[in-house]
Amino acid sequence: MRTLAIYSNKGGVGKTATAVNLSYLAAQAGVKTLICDLDPQSSATYYFRIKPKLNYGAKGFIKGGEKINKAIKGTDYKNLDLLPADFTLRHLEPAFYKFKHPKERLKKIIKLFEAEYDLIIFDCPVTISILADNIFNASDFILVPLIPTTLSVRTYRQLLAFCRKNKYDTGKIYAFFSMVDRRKNMHNELMAMMVKEYDGVLRSLIPYLSQIERMGIDRQPVAASAPESVASKAYRNLWVKFQKTALANKSI
Amino acid sequence: MHNHLKFSLPDGYNQQHLTGALADHYAIKKEQPVLMSMAIYDTFDWRLFNKSLVLYTSENKLFLRNLFKNTIIHSAAITLPPVFIWDFPDSKLKERLSTVLKMRALLKLTELYSRSTVHHILNQDEKTVARLVYEEIRSAREKNASVLETYLWVQPVKGYTKECRHLIKRLEETGFSACEKEDIYFKAIEAAGKNPDSYSSKLKIQLDPAMRSDEATKIILRYLLEIMKINEANLEKDLDTEFLHDFRVAIRRTRSALGQIKSVFPEKPTSRYKKDFSFVGQLTNQLRDLDVYLLKADAFKAMLPPVLRDDIDPLFDYLRKNRSKALQKVIRGLKSKRYRQIMQDWEAFLDEPVQDPPLACNANVSIISFARKRIYKQYRRIVKDGSRTLENTEDEKLHALRIACKKLRYLMEFFSSLFPSKKINILIAQLKTLQDNLGDFNDLCVQEEYLLNISEAPLATGQKQKKILVAIGSLIGTMDREKQIIKDAFAQTFADYASPPNKIAFSELFASKQKETVR
Repeated sequence: MRTLAIYSNKGGVGKTATAVNLSYLAAQAGVKTLICDLDPQSSATYYFRIKPKLNYGAKGFIKGGEKINKAIKGTDYKNLDLLPADFTLRHLEPAFYKFKHPKERLKKIIKLFEAEYDLIIFDCPVTISILADNIFNASDFILVPLIPTTLSVRTYRQLLAFCRKNKYDTGKIYAFFSMVDRRKNMHNELMAMMVKEYDGVLRSLIPYLSQIERMGIDRQPVAASAPESVASKAYRNLWVKFQKTALANKSI
Repeated sequence: MHNHLKFSLPDGYNQQHLTGALADHYAIKKEQPVLMSMAIYDTFDWRLFNKSLVLYTSENKLFLRNLFKNTIIHSAAITLPPVFIWDFPDSKLKERLSTVLKMRALLKLTELYSRSTVHHILNQDEKTVARLVYEEIRSAREKNASVLETYLWVQPVKGYTKECRHLIKRLEETGFSACEKEDIYFKAIEAAGKNPDSYSSKLKIQLDPAMRSDEATKIILRYLLEIMKINEANLEKDLDTEFLHDFRVAIRRTRSALGQIKSVFPEKPTSRYKKDFSFVGQLTNQLRDLDVYLLKADAFKAMLPPVLRDDIDPLFDYLRKNRSKALQKVIRGLKSKRYRQIMQDWEAFLDEPVQDPPLACNANVSIISFARKRIYKQYRRIVKDGSRTLENTEDEKLHALRIACKKLRYLMEFFSSLFPSKKINILIAQLKTLQDNLGDFNDLCVQEEYLLNISEAPLATGQKQKKILVAIGSLIGTMDREKQIIKDAFAQTFADYASPPNKIAFSELFASKQKETVR
């Protein structure tokens, strides 16, 4: 089983759209996939038309075990299940501290799924506190959507600094460009600069497209509703690039 | 579609009825139908079926499942459908089937064409909460071909058990019934005109104890003749080695029956057919020998030290070349006038009704008396001869004992329906243990001699010929050591066989209780 977090310490960068589409593409390729919605806003859950309702709340979640397994719902697609989120997950962060190894908790919780799934994708909320520690500890790879703007690049630097300070392996962090507008010179310049400056930047970009925004209306991955669309092709390209770069010799 | 619930449709029900009946209760989204074909395989003697296994290919994958179950036990990717076990890709599937298939070829039994339409059952959010798959299975690709079977599969979606239960209840109320004790396999092979009872190399002869001996013997011989005919018809195709093997076993059993079921037929035809079947047996000796050595190629190689393993390859190339010649010779032999005449006369002889008054002194004896007497006598002879062999285990004596055991085995199998099956099967199994010991010993003797003889043939040229002689020498050395081990085990194996409890069991089952005289 491999674990991949779609993570950013900045909001509105296209995390959920990425998590939803990549999990769909992996499942389509025959990989038994679980998308784990960690965001109290439960957008991924919504996209898959699943009710954002947990019977156990944040405390129950953090306990782990069979209860969580029972909360998993099958999506409309083969090989793809989802662990829903609901609003109670906003209490997740303080709940971690009740355990002995609070930063390793998530890693322990997902051990339960080892036999059933080949891949777990975390759709993460914006965080850089203990939940982020949990995500870094539980994930084999961290994929960061990056809007080519100054602020976004600045947050990415902050993230890398945080990781280095806390001794997390920055080698498992990958970034790709999201919501790109190629007509904007600044976008192009920043992208060129980033590719030069950092190792883990994938040469793959998701353009700013209304098709992706429409996912909220269609309530399905754009890769499923419009497989031939530009948006769908962009996600497919991202998934291929990610597999080639991060998973080279370590196939899922 | 595995691990899912399967329903059969109410009579006269079709897809339109289905969507109509459910539309009142659910929002349904229908997908485009998916076409799929699969081919089912088994050996000529139904080895998979006899183990309740179904092997099929579909879209470059091989699947193994149990009869009446939809769970796939093992699967493996393939480029071509395998014929022999050694064609399988290395996989769990291969491991599972190697002891079942052994050297038999897989034959395609039939093909099935499935057309399935997925219906998503949606909730208020238009989320799929269950899938219903309407599947039509045909034995031909054409859309207008008649439908063999229609199933409705319910595929639950994780986390929506309540909705699924509700759906199943709804289906049951509409008249659908769950069909677990059913398998499309049977309809498929029936549609292909095939029947799992059609062939078995085992003797399944049913005799009536009070039957006249000549009549019962004809039933046995007739059965053996059918086995010969079935296998003979397939020999030319050369699908695998076992058609010839089963053909030869039937001949050997026929000869054994003619020799051992004494004086049930007049002297003249008995001695004629004994000679005739000896001739028929000889026709195929060479080919069978070659088959045996080629089948054992890997085993022989494994007996050699690694440095010599490749050196022996020219031997198998040589045998392979000879085999195609030997096969042609057998095919010619089976088409020969003499062979055809023998089989024709033999069939006519078996078809003649039994004569009254009987033409031979044992003809009129009840078969149960005859069977008891012959089996018991043969058993006692083996115990006597075997005890003598224990004192001096000469190769010739072991050989003679092996023949005597084989005769007893055949008698017990011919007449097994006359005795309580559990009891006689235990005695047959014990005999088999002794036979295995003697058989292994004999195989090694024969193989040693064969290798010695063949080493004089030009197997290769120059350096290669020298190397191969070294390899053959090493092989013979290993065989000789092996022979001694088997010989050493003989004493204990025989002692077990001739033990008092076994003697009592034999005497209880076969010692004569009859007043009839069997000569």
